[in-house]
Amino acid sequence: MSLHPTSSPARPNLAESILLEAGAVILGKDRELRLALACLLARGHLLVEDLPGVGKTTLAHLLARLLGLDYSRIQFTSDLLPADVIGVSVYDRASESFRFHPGPIFSQLILADEINRATPKAQSALLEAMEERQVTVEGETRRLPEPFFVIATQNPLFQVGTFPLPESQLDRFLMRIHLGYPAAEQEKALLAGEDRREMVARQRPALTNAELIELQKSVIRIHAASPIIDYIHAILQFTRGSERFAYGLSPRAGLGLLHAAKSWALLAGRDYVMPEDVQAVLPAVAVHRLTGGEPGQRIGDDEVARFILTNVPV
Amino acid sequence: MHKTDSMTRKTNRIPADERPERHQIFWTTLLVAAACAPFARYLDGQVTAFLALILAIRLVALRWPAALPNRWIRALLAFAGLGNCLAAYHTVTGQDGGSALLATMLVLKLLELDTKRDLRLVLILLGFLSVVQFLFDESFQLTLYLGLIALGLVTLLTELNGGLGAAGLRPALRVSARLALQAIPLTLVLFVLFPRLTAPLWSLGIDSSRGLMGMSDSMEPGNISELVVNGELAFRARFAGRRPDANQLYWRGPVLWKMDGRRWTPDAPPSGWQRPARLIESSDPIEYEVVMEPTKQRWLFALDMPVSEPEGTAISPDHQLLSNQPVTALKRYNARSVLSYRTAEPDERVRALALELPANVTPRMRALVEDWRTQVADGREERADDWTLVQRALAHFNRENFYYTLLPPKLGANPADEFLFETRRGFCEHYASSFALLMRIAGIPSRIVLGYLGGETNDFGGYTIVRQSDAHAWVEVLIEGRGWVRVDPTAAVDPSRIDNRLATELLGAGASVRFDLGEAAALARWMRDLRLLGDTLEATWQNWVLDFSAQDQRRLMDRLGLGAWQEYGLAVLMVLAVSLTLGGILLVLMHERTERDPLERLYARLCRRLAGVGLPRLPHEGPGDYGQRVTAARPDLASTVGGFLALYVPARYGERSTPETLQRLSNLLRDFDPKAQSVQSAFRGKVTASNGG
Repeated sequence: MSLHPTSSPARPNLAESILLEAGAVILGKDRELRLALACLLARGHLLVEDLPGVGKTTLAHLLARLLGLDYSRIQFTSDLLPADVIGVSVYDRASESFRFHPGPIFSQLILADEINRATPKAQSALLEAMEERQVTVEGETRRLPEPFFVIATQNPLFQVGTFPLPESQLDRFLMRIHLGYPAAEQEKALLAGEDRREMVARQRPALTNAELIELQKSVIRIHAASPIIDYIHAILQFTRGSERFAYGLSPRAGLGLLHAAKSWALLAGRDYVMPEDVQAVLPAVAVHRLTGGEPGQRIGDDEVARFILTNVPV
Repeated sequence: MHKTDSMTRKTNRIPADERPERHQIFWTTLLVAAACAPFARYLDGQVTAFLALILAIRLVALRWPAALPNRWIRALLAFAGLGNCLAAYHTVTGQDGGSALLATMLVLKLLELDTKRDLRLVLILLGFLSVVQFLFDESFQLTLYLGLIALGLVTLLTELNGGLGAAGLRPALRVSARLALQAIPLTLVLFVLFPRLTAPLWSLGIDSSRGLMGMSDSMEPGNISELVVNGELAFRARFAGRRPDANQLYWRGPVLWKMDGRRWTPDAPPSGWQRPARLIESSDPIEYEVVMEPTKQRWLFALDMPVSEPEGTAISPDHQLLSNQPVTALKRYNARSVLSYRTAEPDERVRALALELPANVTPRMRALVEDWRTQVADGREERADDWTLVQRALAHFNRENFYYTLLPPKLGANPADEFLFETRRGFCEHYASSFALLMRIAGIPSRIVLGYLGGETNDFGGYTIVRQSDAHAWVEVLIEGRGWVRVDPTAAVDPSRIDNRLATELLGAGASVRFDLGEAAALARWMRDLRLLGDTLEATWQNWVLDFSAQDQRRLMDRLGLGAWQEYGLAVLMVLAVSLTLGGILLVLMHERTERDPLERLYARLCRRLAGVGLPRLPHEGPGDYGQRVTAARPDLASTVGGFLALYVPARYGERSTPETLQRLSNLLRDFDPKAQSVQSAFRGKVTASNGG
């Protein structure tokens, strides 16, 4: 029997069906998929950290297809310039004026691949756009499309030629997840199955942009009772007081935690937040802000999250 | 013109939210009136009238604001009030004048309530006026009454200040009731431990006993009958052993020696005479404790005859128990008395004093006495002895047409003569006075003793109540070889005066104050019991509250083993107790805050029950995870726990709690006993197993 009683949120089946279809392509990563979707519904950006080839790109592509978003991919390299991301103004001889050529950032879903290979200058161009949801080129402010969702991938730092993201930049990602190697069963299925790229290409959008925006709005309407607010606050307070962390969680992290928990509750088919929702998203939301940009030391996000949770009573 | 301008400007200057509202003015006026009501007993009639007048104006002006006096009339009224007090008391200081002025000015301030600040001032002054009343009356009743007034006062102040979120009188009343409840423990601590003033109040210039109806130290026709219609308390007595019969209870007060033809007065006895008062023989003493109302006099009342001198008292040569100080506050003393005794013979000077006759002794009085003296025995005349004469005099009162009434006819210049031969209607003072006089004419030394006779037994409290209405006067005659002997001529007239209480018909039509409907009527018995119960409360109040003194505090300290700390002990103890009390209140409040939510309490109960079967909730475990864990460990509990959580979780986190939810949750919990269920399921399991076998 279900201990999570369902009430009627906006469209519970919709989110479920998206996850179901995504699960058919990316095998054995249900939790990561759910987190990614929750992150998107909470209007946050996602950082995926893992080795090449574990399905980061597939994940981004799949989400774009399923959600009916137009998609572009920026491969970050050490010689990437901000203009390569944002776009440039080119002189148009016919109209005798400069015309703006939008860069790849003017898409609804962007995969920023290997973001830590680029120089800080190029990184910050992307990250500022993520935060402001608009770019200013030559004095003109241009709004980015809505919805706007960035999935950045990052290689572990022991690889050569990487520029680690500073804490302030990491804070802009609502969640950081790891995909990891698939389990034996799933990996065999993957090997035996058809080409993932083709499967993704075949995927039909499950919902329209308007529906997606509506879902995002209904996340905000999810109810967080005062005990939940108290609980989140207690978590923030604990990280600030604990000797284990150099810095505690910021107020923005607290807001992120709340939004992500709301989003998680929506995916669970509830219109209110439970403590379990907060606990479920905590590893993805909090840990990258606490351990800083040292992806090399893999203590395990879950372990850090467990340390926090066991010390904060519900 | 100019004046009107300035007045308009003045009213306009006051912002709307600073103007008191009508209902606030109304209730404040009512409260002031209520506080003044018990006060009226002690105020001069004209002051009371003035207060009533102003209160009436205030109430009328509430309905028709035009009736509100303007500034000039208010000033005039203020002067009138001051003049009124001066006229009534000739002073505006001291307890009476000061209180009258305070009440007058407070009531006048009601006419000038332009701002909320004025109202606040009135309310605070009202608090002061309430406290002042304790100078006049410290009874339990008044304390309760003033407590209610204080509650009303705090309520109005709370509403006025919008304190603690109280808008409107009803929430303000709730707030102030809460405040009162919280204040109780603190009050108790301060009451028990706050160092008492050892200096009496009169050294502070405050007279704590005033206008007392009570016994005076002289007797003339009429002043005891005044007392007899007065039901006020004189004193309470508690006997250590069995209470003597009512007709034995002669409570001895002042002794009067000198008669001027109309009035008996004590007359200062010659100094150095016969000290101490001696009894030659006596029966076993009986012991009792008396708690006496203030009289402003030095005498204490003790049973005839007192033989012990409590601390601060002495027994005078004429066997009065006298306090060294006038009794201005409640007085408690333990005394011992003997009911049968023989006094020593006084010397000649005393004898002479007890034989002094006033100038207005008439020949027919002498003739009457001479008639008694001459007795016929065995056919020949001989002189009767003193004791026979006493008996004959008593028989005279008994046989002749003497009536006992509280409303005797007015007596002229020679009351004794007129009473004996013409009116023959009188009260104990008439009988005692004329009897003593006749004895003196006969050459038998006599004196008057004032005091009380009898008293009502209160079975609830186990003590005897003696009221002013029990006032009595009797005579002592000096008989050769027997010393001073008590003679009660009133008893000779009407024995019921001693055996029964005064009946209504005896009190006469004019005196309806006291009535005795007889024991037959159940209602009357019930009323009497109620009255006695009330008196018991009052006595308890006196005993435990009013009479709690510095000595009691010292005793308490000794009992707590802090006797050595006399100096600072009380203060330290008080601070400690106050902090403990406040801490306690704080703890209760904090506990209330965390456990206030009934929903949380129900959930905590579920968790406690599950903890009882080894499934405690981890501190960081949410209800969903906990439920899953419990269900996994004990599938038999799944339906109840699941059902509970299915209701609880949305109620708690979706904030959709209704009284109905709470009811259903508590119903679920009522029948939920995980321990019993485990036994059941184990049993069921066994049955299934054996069936299978």
